[in-house]
Amino acid sequence: MAKKILIIEDEEIIHSLLQKKLTEEGYQISIAKDGVEGMEKMKEAKPDLILLDIIMPRKGGFEVMEEMQGDENLKGIPIIVISNSGQPVEIDRAKELGAKDWLIKTEFDPQEVLEKVKKQIG
Amino acid sequence: MAPKLNKIKNQTESPEEETPKKEFEELRGTREALLNILEDVEEARKEAEEERDKTLAIIENFPEGLLFFGGENELSSINPKARDFFNLEPENILGKDIGALRKISSLQPLMEILGEELEVYQKELKIREGLVLEVSTIAITSAEEKVGALVILRDVTREKIIERLKTEFVSIAAHQLRTPLSAIKWTLRMILDGDLGEIQQEQRKFLEGTYGSNERMIKLINDLLNVTRIEEGRFLYDIKSQDIIDIVKKVIDSLKQIAKRKRVKFSFKIPKKEIPQVEVDSEKISLAIQNLVDNAIHYTKSGGEVKVSLSYSKKEKQILFSVKDTGIGIPKEQQRRVFTRFFRAANAIRAETEGTGLGLFIAKNIVEAHGGKIWFESVENKGTTFYFTLRA
Repeated sequence: MAKKILIIEDEEIIHSLLQKKLTEEGYQISIAKDGVEGMEKMKEAKPDLILLDIIMPRKGGFEVMEEMQGDENLKGIPIIVISNSGQPVEIDRAKELGAKDWLIKTEFDPQEVLEKVKKQIG
Repeated sequence: MAPKLNKIKNQTESPEEETPKKEFEELRGTREALLNILEDVEEARKEAEEERDKTLAIIENFPEGLLFFGGENELSSINPKARDFFNLEPENILGKDIGALRKISSLQPLMEILGEELEVYQKELKIREGLVLEVSTIAITSAEEKVGALVILRDVTREKIIERLKTEFVSIAAHQLRTPLSAIKWTLRMILDGDLGEIQQEQRKFLEGTYGSNERMIKLINDLLNVTRIEEGRFLYDIKSQDIIDIVKKVIDSLKQIAKRKRVKFSFKIPKKEIPQVEVDSEKISLAIQNLVDNAIHYTKSGGEVKVSLSYSKKEKQILFSVKDTGIGIPKEQQRRVFTRFFRAANAIRAETEGTGLGLFIAKNIVEAHGGKIWFESVENKGTTFYFTLRA
């Protein structure tokens, strides 16, 4: 069965490109446009991995990670953060909250995101 | 009058009568001289008093806060401006030493940074919301002996606000710019990788050019962000024990292609002697090295050479990094501005229009934040060598 990836990212072009890249590799993709929608979707169908943006309307990436930490059912899902910024303090905080990796969008491209995903869930 | 004249005449003529007369004259002279001296002293006293009043008036009305400490580090004088900063009454504080002053709650933060020996040179201090002071201490010496210290307090609140607004603006603008730039980068990358269908050779050529331009824009934004972080003082240093050879190697590897494309001979001589580990923030030191080596390659013409080397001085317990090029060099009259942000030498602008003038400013800040030194030697049209040191 195809592995399920939830992309929580407000910028359409970014999530569309990721969807295209990852679908072709055989992953099953669902998309949430902010943290609120993201929480709903992961509760509906638990994904195998989450690609998470940080700055989003309504609910940001850090709040999503905090909420997941407090939920026994969601806590173990691997998270890869994809963000425009990348301050060491932010990265450390995200890792404390269970993020496996932090990718700065201007320094990575979809191919490299795919490789990071494969490394996590095969 | 005649006899007197006579006498005087006599005097000159008869030496035996000379002595008492001479003494009298001398005494009179001395008296006059003494009166003169007294007059001078009186005048000098008046002048000194006037000077003192003038000095006091200057101190009292000085727009910056002033505190004078005597030889025993006791507070001997404080002007109204300084009292206003801390809401103080002079009678409660004059004559007290640092230790006693530290117990006065409004003065405590200032006394903390001055320390026992009043050694601070210049530091900023936030007193309360809406009041930031720049504290400078000057030792007052007489015949090479310290007789006291002058502490100057300058209100820099407004400057701080303006500085913060400027930095915030650049920071927000840079962050906002990154979002569309990453969208462009990802789209172009996927098209170039064939993820969105096959493309023709000519399309590829143009898209690759656009991709390169976008990468340069990303680099510029990153430089601007780094500068604002340096200015905000939140350019974080994640200090860990690192192998400096590894760090240099990685940077060299990432720049090999560029050197090859420019046909610049590029080498890194790995030192034969063992080099100890260094306590550095590897990401930041990599960035400093990258900026220095990247400049060397960019400003060296085809056929030129760039040599990177590392050495360790056991005696000085420090590592010396150097990058030597045979490039365009830095014009002598512009050398002192090399580390200023946004500065680019005239011949550098002619040689290469791209460039932000931020690389060396960033490199200097990184090296100095690690306690190292950075400098260069350069001859126009011959080449430049940049050096920096790190404690090891």
